[in-house]
Amino acid sequence: MKRLLEYVGYDPGRFNARWISGSEGQKWADTTKDMTEKLKALGPNKRFSK
Amino acid sequence: MNKVTENLRKTAAKLLQDKEVEMVIGYGLGSEAVRTQPVFITSPEDTEKLVWNSFCVNGLTKYLSDLKTHPGKLAIVVKGCDSRGIFRLTQDNIIPRDKIVVIGIPCAGQLSYTKLASKIDVSGQLNDVEEKGDDVVIKTTKGDFTVKKSEALLDKCNTCEHHNPVVADHVVGDAINASPTTDSYDEIKKYEAMSTEEKAKFWLSQFERCIRCYACRNTCPGCTCRECIFDAIKPDWVGKEIDVSENELFHLTRAFHLAGRCVDCGECDRVCPMDIPIRLLNKKLLKECKELFNMETPGSVEEGGSVIGQYRLEDPEEFM
Ligand code: SF4
Ligand code: SF4
Ligand code: SF4
Repeated sequence: MKRLLEYVGYDPGRFNARWISGSEGQKWADTTKDMTEKLKALGPNKRFSK
Repeated sequence: MNKVTENLRKTAAKLLQDKEVEMVIGYGLGSEAVRTQPVFITSPEDTEKLVWNSFCVNGLTKYLSDLKTHPGKLAIVVKGCDSRGIFRLTQDNIIPRDKIVVIGIPCAGQLSYTKLASKIDVSGQLNDVEEKGDDVVIKTTKGDFTVKKSEALLDKCNTCEHHNPVVADHVVGDAINASPTTDSYDEIKKYEAMSTEEKAKFWLSQFERCIRCYACRNTCPGCTCRECIFDAIKPDWVGKEIDVSENELFHLTRAFHLAGRCVDCGECDRVCPMDIPIRLLNKKLLKECKELFNMETPGSVEEGGSVIGQYRLEDPEEFM
């Protein structure tokens, strides 16, 4: 999925998939923080909108 | 008339005479010299309508899905690339294998209508076609023309994996001794190498032109869902309006539904009236599935599941 989105011109940071278990609270927090920061920098996605 | 056509007609006539099949699906002469059209033959006398030449570009396997409730068995003419569609349909339980009689024809390559039409007057009716080495002599009611086969081949034939059908109950014609080509995906790599901005620009300009006629879906041996997500109104998964955003959603969803299932027949690309290079999407996913899961081109063998529908311990986990 990620590879397909990058192929059609989405920024590599826009879509991410991570496997996080329910017991990995810290990993969850770090990952979401990291993703949010990257996404803020990219700005809103203008595609898939009306 | 060439030998293959002659033998094809004999084989088809026998199948119908012996009542082994109720219908033979094959190619007949088309509306213009370098076209053929699908024909559906139900009586031995009509088998003279069947032809085999270098213009049999259509893949016919999808008709098996449309005609799956037709009484009796169906015989179908397939080339190498189309033959993978047979296993797509049987693996997806669309039609049982024993309802189909496959007439396989080894295929050296088919000629593109678009390429031919840019070189010669194609508007006449075909009288005969002869191949001598790389020269193809096309004799029509509007005159005779000679073209170089190598200059008019369909693009997909340059990287053909199976010239000889992967499945055939009856083989008509001599097997082709071509060393198997492994597609190096050079074309896909070219598109992968573009910058994010270039990619976005290229693909949006393609998606924008789609008129949502669904010809690509309708011809695809992998697109056989009884209730297609793109037709569903409740819930309205994908908007029906034609705009670049909805079109993109349609294209990416369709590509993903065929990931690991697309048999790489190239039909979707060929039938698109807007010349959208759909195959570049499906081929990208084919390349990724082959690299990630060590998969064969789907439909190459009778047994097999889809990589997306299976789990193996050794699957790569790049998102861990
Ligand atoms: S891809 Fe192969 S089997 Fe298919 S039309 Fe081309 S040469 Fe024939
Ligand atoms: S065949 Fe072409 S125009 Fe028609 S829906 Fe498919 S991509 Fe769009
Ligand atoms: S997606 Fe296109 S190339 Fe793949 S099986 Fe369907 S019609 Fe053939």
